[in-house]
Amino acid sequence: MVNFTVDQIRQIMDKKENIRNMSVIAHVDHGKSTLTDSLVSKAGIIANSKAGEARFTDTRKDEQERCITIKSTAISMYYELGDADMKWIKQTSDGNGFLINLIDSPGHVDFSSEVTAALRVTDGALVVVDCVSGVCVQTETVLRQAIAEKIKPIVFMNKMDRALLELQLEEEDMYQTFQRIVENINVIIATYAEEDGPMGPIMVDPTVGTVGFGSGLHGWAFSLKQFAEMYAAKFKIDVDKLMKRLWGDNSFNAKTKKWTKTLSEGSVRGFNKFVLEPIFKVFKNIMNNEKDALKKLVEQINVKLKKEDWELEGKQLLKTFMRTWLPAGETLLQMITIHLPSPVTSQKYRCELLYEGPMDDKVAVAVKNCDPNGPLMMYISKMVPTSDKGRFYAFGRVFSGKVATGQKVRIMGANYVPGKKEDLYVKPIQRTILMMGRYIEAIEDVPCGNICGLVGVDSYLVKTGTLSTYDQAFNMKQMKFSVSPVVRVAVEAKNPQDLPKLVEGLKRLAKSDPMVQCLTEESGEHIVAGAGELHLEICLKDLEEDHACIPLKKSDPVVSYRETVSEESDIMCLSKSPNKHNRLYMKAAPMPDGLPEAIDEGDVNSKQEFKTRGRYLSDKFNYDVNEARKIWCFGPESTGPNLLIDCTKAVQYLHEIKDSVVAGFQWASKEGVVCEENLRGVRFNIHDVTLHADAIHRGGGQIIPTARRVMYASQLTAKPRLMEPVYLVEIQCPENAVGGIYGCLNRRRGHVFEESQNPGTPLFSVKAYLPVNESFGFTADLRSQTGGQAFPQAVFDHWQVMPGDPLEEGTKPYKIVMDTRKRKSIKEEIPTLDKYFDKL
Amino acid sequence: MVFYLVGLGLGGPKDVTVKGLEVIKSASRIYLEAYTSILSCGKDELEAFYGKPVTLADRDMVEQDSETLLADAKELDVAFLVIGDPFGATTHSDLILRAVDKNIPYKVVHNASIMNAIGCCGLQLYNFGETVSIVFWTDTWKPDSFYDKIESNLQRGLHTLCLLDIKVKEQSIENLMRGRKVYEPPRYMTANTACKQLLQVIDNKALNNIKTKLQPDSMCVALSRIGWDNQKIVASKLKDLVNCDIGPPLHSLVIAGEMHPLEEDFLAQFKLVAENSE
Repeated sequence: MVNFTVDQIRQIMDKKENIRNMSVIAHVDHGKSTLTDSLVSKAGIIANSKAGEARFTDTRKDEQERCITIKSTAISMYYELGDADMKWIKQTSDGNGFLINLIDSPGHVDFSSEVTAALRVTDGALVVVDCVSGVCVQTETVLRQAIAEKIKPIVFMNKMDRALLELQLEEEDMYQTFQRIVENINVIIATYAEEDGPMGPIMVDPTVGTVGFGSGLHGWAFSLKQFAEMYAAKFKIDVDKLMKRLWGDNSFNAKTKKWTKTLSEGSVRGFNKFVLEPIFKVFKNIMNNEKDALKKLVEQINVKLKKEDWELEGKQLLKTFMRTWLPAGETLLQMITIHLPSPVTSQKYRCELLYEGPMDDKVAVAVKNCDPNGPLMMYISKMVPTSDKGRFYAFGRVFSGKVATGQKVRIMGANYVPGKKEDLYVKPIQRTILMMGRYIEAIEDVPCGNICGLVGVDSYLVKTGTLSTYDQAFNMKQMKFSVSPVVRVAVEAKNPQDLPKLVEGLKRLAKSDPMVQCLTEESGEHIVAGAGELHLEICLKDLEEDHACIPLKKSDPVVSYRETVSEESDIMCLSKSPNKHNRLYMKAAPMPDGLPEAIDEGDVNSKQEFKTRGRYLSDKFNYDVNEARKIWCFGPESTGPNLLIDCTKAVQYLHEIKDSVVAGFQWASKEGVVCEENLRGVRFNIHDVTLHADAIHRGGGQIIPTARRVMYASQLTAKPRLMEPVYLVEIQCPENAVGGIYGCLNRRRGHVFEESQNPGTPLFSVKAYLPVNESFGFTADLRSQTGGQAFPQAVFDHWQVMPGDPLEEGTKPYKIVMDTRKRKSIKEEIPTLDKYFDKL
Repeated sequence: MVFYLVGLGLGGPKDVTVKGLEVIKSASRIYLEAYTSILSCGKDELEAFYGKPVTLADRDMVEQDSETLLADAKELDVAFLVIGDPFGATTHSDLILRAVDKNIPYKVVHNASIMNAIGCCGLQLYNFGETVSIVFWTDTWKPDSFYDKIESNLQRGLHTLCLLDIKVKEQSIENLMRGRKVYEPPRYMTANTACKQLLQVIDNKALNNIKTKLQPDSMCVALSRIGWDNQKIVASKLKDLVNCDIGPPLHSLVIAGEMHPLEEDFLAQFKLVAENSE
C-alpha cells in the first residue's frame, strides 16, 4: 500500500501521460477480484487518514456471501516503473511514477451493464481468463464490448496453480492450452476490431508482453519479459528478441546450444524449456518435499527466501516461494503501465466514438488533445449510493478541462439536444471527490484523464449524462449495453400506505443500477425489469432493504415479448383521418434475416448518411436502392429495429405530414396492435397518400392517429407473430453430469447446439438455447439434476419467432397475448381489422 | 325529419338569419360546432338568446361520433350551428355525406363567412385567388406549402386570403398516445405571427437563391374580429405588420396582388398612421 496525502495524489493527476485508466474484465469465477487484491496490496493508494482501517475492496455484504462481484469498484494505485523498463513504453511519459485507476467489474452476465459503464471511463482492459476453463461466453461478451469502446486489451491467464496441482498437466499440454486461449482471444479481437484501426495492433501476443500467466490466488505472475530478463545476460541476447524465442515453435537444442525456428529432434520448445521447466521443478520439489533440491534451485534462480519461510511446507511454502520469485503485482503493474494507453494516447482515437458533436468543435479538439485548459467535458457513467440514503455520487471520467468544487456546469441528460432546453440544468458542483474503494476524499479539482465522483449532480441526472462548461457542447454518446432488460417483475407495497415510499425507492433503484428499468404500467402497476433472474433478485433485495425500506410483494417474473409480422400485408391498407379528408395507404412486411440485428448493432442506424445506408441495405439485404434511400425513420425511440419507408411516387406536400406519420410510427412500433409490446423486424411501406388541399386540415391531430391506425391494419394483415427472448446458456460440468443437463433443457424447450470437451481437462462444456420464459428456476433445477456439478451462465442471445398465430385461439402465443393484455389491463379481445381499416 | 346546418355569421348572437333562428327555435336538439372559429359571445349568451340549451360539439364529436349527432334525426329536427357559413372555410361535407348515407334529409341556412366578409377591406372578392391557411410552426414541423399558393396568386396578380391557425382542444402528442383527454390551452395565430413566418419563408427561399414575388415590402392587410363590433383593419407592408397590434383574436391576413386604383383608395383609410405622415 502507498500512503499519500490528497495533495500528493492531486499532483500525480496532472501528469496525464502517466495515467492508466483500466478495467479488469472476465467471465464469472475466473478470479478477477482475487487478482485485483494482489494488485491493490502492492500499490493501492490510501489516504493517510484511512491507513490501517479494514480491507479495501470490501464493499457489499452480499458480494462476500455469494462470492461474486455485483457492483464495479474503482481503486487508484501508484506504481513507479524501474528506469530500465521506461524504454519499453512506446508512448510519451513524464517521469517514472504512474497513477493507475483500476475498476474491478462483475463477471456474471446479469451485471454486464456494470462492465459497460466501467469500460466507458477506462482506456485499457485486463482480460482475465481461467486457463482451465478457457475462453467462455462472458469472456467473449466483455472483450467484444471492450473492442467496441476502443479499449485496448491485455490478457492474464489465471489459475495456473489449478492446472498444475489439480489437473497435473504436462509442460507441452500447458503450452498448448495457453496457445489455444491466445488464439481464441485473437479470433474474437479479429472478428470485432477493424484491421489497421487507430488503436494500432491490439491482438494480444506473449512475445511482446501483452499476455501474462500465473495465479491470482497464490499471488504470482509473469510475462515472457520476466523470464527473458533472467536469461538475457546468459544468452547475450536482447530481452525483446529473447522474448520472441520463448514462444511459438522456437526451440533450443541443449547439445548444440543452438536455437531453431522449428521443433526438431533433440530440441525443446523455448517456452517449455526456459519458462515452464523451472516452474514445474519448483512445484515438484515443494510438493514432494525435496528441500535440498529446492535450495539448489533457489540459488540458480536467485530467490531470496526469509528464514522463517523455510519452516513452511507444501502449499504454504509453494505460495510464499512463488510470490517471492514472481510477484504478481510487479508483473501486472509493468504490463499495465507499459502496454495500456494513457488518456493522452487513447482520447485521440476514442474521441470520435465518444462525442456526438462535430469533430472540429472546441470540445472535440480539447478531448482529442486531453487538454486540461480546454472546456470541461465529463461523462457520468454511473451513480454510486452514498451513506446518506437516497443520495448518490455521480461517478465518471473527465475527458477535457477540469472539474472543480463550486464550478458552474451544464448538466446534460440523455435526452438533451444541443440548442434546446430539455434535460439541461446549469448548476454548481457541490463537491468533487476521489473515490477509493468505499472511501471518499474531498479534492479541490480534477483534471482531464482522471476518474472521480461528484456530489450534488445526482438529482439532475437519471443514470448517466454529460457535464460541460461549453455552451455549444453536444452529449457524449450513450453507452450501448450488451444485455437488455428482458425479465420483469411487478412489485407493490405490502401495506398500501407505503406506496409513496415504494415510488421513491424505485426512483433510487433506477439511479443505482446502470441498466435496471423501473416503469409504471398504464394500470398503475410498478414494474422492475432486469437482465436476468439474479440481476432482478439483487435489484429487488436492494429495493426492499436499501431504497424503499418497506416490505414488498413481488409477482412471478415475466418476460417481455416482441411483435413482428411474417408476410407482407395481403391487402393494401387504408385509413382515413378523422376529418376524412386525408387518406393513408400502407403495407407492412417482415425484414430480411439479419437486418434487425444489424440495426441493434448499429451497423444500420438513423444517423448514417442516407446514400451509404441505402447502398448497404441494397448490397446486404437486397433492398431496392431507391426505397432504401427513402427511410423516414427507425422506431421505437427513433433507433429501434423497425423501419418506415416512403414508397410513394410524386405525392405533393408529403413532406409536410412526415413528422406526424413518424410520430404515429413511433407510437405504433412501441405498442403493437396485438398486445402493446414493441415491434421488431417490421418494415412499413407508405404506398400512397391523399391529402387535404390546405395544411391546416392535415396537422398532427389528423395524421398521427391515422398513421397509427393504418400501421395497425397493416400489421394485422401481415400475419402477425410473437417473438420471445432466448438465452444462450453455457454450462461447464464433468462428463457424468451431461445427461442431467439434456433432461433439464428438454423439459424447458431448450436445445443443445454444441457439446465439447475442454482439451486437457475432464470438463465438458455444453452450449444451448433456452427461452428466457423457461429459465426461471433453471439454475436450481440444473443443480439438483446434476448433483450440484453444473453451473449455467445464461446471456440474452436473440429474439425467436414463436410458432403459431397469436390471433388464433388455442395456440401458445394466443395464451401469452391474453395474459399480457390482462396484465396490462387493456381490453382482452385483440382488436379486429375493421377498427383500423377504412373502406373507400 | 331534417338535419339543419345553420350558419351563425361572424359576430354576436344576433347575426343569425331570421330563417336560421326559426330553425333553431323549432329544433329538438341544437349543437354548436366550436373548434373552427369563435364567436364574440359565449355559449350562455347564445342559449339565453335562443331560450334553449345548446350542446357544444368539439372536433372529436363531429369527426368521430357522428352517430350521436345524427341520432334520431329521422324523427326529430336537429340543428347543427356553424360559425360563419356551413360551407365556408371549414366545410362539413363529411358530416353531410354521413347524413345522406343514413337517408336523413338535410337543409342548409347560409350566412356570412370570412370568405365573403373579407371584402370589407376594399379588395374586390373577384380578384382573390386560392385561399390558404397558415399553420403554427413547431421546432420540427415548418410546412410552407401555403407559400407556393400565395406566390402563384401573386404571379397572376390576385389577392390571397390567409386564414390563421386555431388550436382549440388539441392534445399534445404524449397525451394523444396515452389516450388521455387532456387538452392544451387554446391558441390563435395572430397576424403578427403569420407575417413573421412569411418573412422567414422569404429568407429561406433567398438563402436557396429563389426569387420570390412576395417581399417584405409587399402590401398586406391585417384584419381582426371581422363582423364583430370592434373589428379592426390595418394595411401596411408585410414587414411593418410584424409589430402591429390589432387586438385579440381572431385574425386574418390578406396579401394584396395588383390593385385597381379604387382598391388602393379604399385601402388608404386603413394605412398605418406613421406611414401616412411620411
